[in-house]
Amino acid sequence: MCLGIPGRIVDRRDDAGLAVGTVDFGGVRREVCLAYVADEVDVGDYVVVHVGFAISKVDEDEARRTFEVLREMSQLDELEWMAEVADAAERVSSPVEVAP
Amino acid sequence: MKYLSEYRDPELARSLVERINRTVTKRWTLMEVCGGQTHTIVKQGIHEVLSDAVEMIHGPGCPVCVTPLEQIDRALHLAARPDVVFTSFGDMLRVPGSECDLLQIKARGGNVSVVYSPLDAVQLALSNPDKEVVFFAVGFETTAPANAMAVWRAKELGIENFSVLVSHVTVPPAMVAILEDPDNRVQGFLAAGHVCTVMGWKEYEPLADKYEVPIVVTGFEPLDILEGIWMAIRQLEDGRHEVENQYVRAVRREGNRPAQELVSKVFQPVDRGWRGIGTIPASGLGLRPELAAFDAERKFGLEGIHAEESPECRAGDVLRGHLKPYECPAFGTSCTPENPLGAPMVSSEGACAAYYNFGRMQAAARA
Repeated sequence: MCLGIPGRIVDRRDDAGLAVGTVDFGGVRREVCLAYVADEVDVGDYVVVHVGFAISKVDEDEARRTFEVLREMSQLDELEWMAEVADAAERVSSPVEVAP
Repeated sequence: MKYLSEYRDPELARSLVERINRTVTKRWTLMEVCGGQTHTIVKQGIHEVLSDAVEMIHGPGCPVCVTPLEQIDRALHLAARPDVVFTSFGDMLRVPGSECDLLQIKARGGNVSVVYSPLDAVQLALSNPDKEVVFFAVGFETTAPANAMAVWRAKELGIENFSVLVSHVTVPPAMVAILEDPDNRVQGFLAAGHVCTVMGWKEYEPLADKYEVPIVVTGFEPLDILEGIWMAIRQLEDGRHEVENQYVRAVRREGNRPAQELVSKVFQPVDRGWRGIGTIPASGLGLRPELAAFDAERKFGLEGIHAEESPECRAGDVLRGHLKPYECPAFGTSCTPENPLGAPMVSSEGACAAYYNFGRMQAAARA
């Protein structure tokens, strides 16, 4: 039930004292209450929406940073794997060199 | 979709799985609190690929599952009244009460309406002045700000034909109940990311300290969950017990202040019954006395409705992590998503339905 979907604010307005706006979720648009994030968001910002309410602004810098860390980790794994393969190859080939 | 699909990258997921498997020196036991996380874990088979490194116990964080039978019966009673339009989130409609569910009441002519936002229920009250519109206000801290706003809006607009049947629950007291259980096996928690967007994580710091458990605020996509598990495992391996935040793109330590303020203007902590578990002190939210005019239980005199749970349903043991869904004798036989005995088989976030729908019972039975 605590499902929250990230979407981009495409417009915002006032509905009888309540901050509301239209949020685009990958092409599907819905009216969303922006009252809880009104002071920190503008049109173009991403928000996490739950049951028609924006409950948090998506921190795009943090999102990018998390992703970079994950990517680096995965590349690191790949490097480690390549190093392991190289080591193994060396162990296999070195006796041949030593043999004569 | 931006900020969603990139967190499902299979290559990054594989790398995290390998990392977790390489890091552990023993098998650890973690609990994901939120039903949304249970859904992802079981659907993606995360608990299976990590089964040598970590046992995942599925927590009680599914509001549909823990709403007490008594409140369901009260909802059914209201929905059957000819003067009432009963409004609810869609996932409450098939939760079995003592005799039937809301969908059956609707089929018999009851006026039951599914709303997307609680503000839609307020709008319905405005456009139907000759009817009493009742909204079923269930959920955790994530949903409380939306439901609080509906009550506040009705008050501001002077709407008298709107009321709420409240069954709100909060996460930290449930975690304490799990940790205080003498049979507890949980060594670390993935805290519910969206609950923390609202509440932040300050209230978890004393828990991590007192019970010496790592708590990692975690998101809902497969990469979020894998990274959350990895962070918790690293803490356990290092002998640390801190609150860490994996879900940095959406959660700040102090949470959402304006949301917290309105929630505490509308609601106050109350003792709350959890279906299958029993009453946990101060684990729920109820309307503040000055907003009693919006309290459906009072307005319609529902206090006299009480209910007894079915002894055949072992939902309480499942929700506390003592029983895997497939270990329940009723699982898949007398209890299926079509004919559920208990709520965890109804909600897509319920552990029983997740195992049933994703065919995990055989694989799990081998483990």
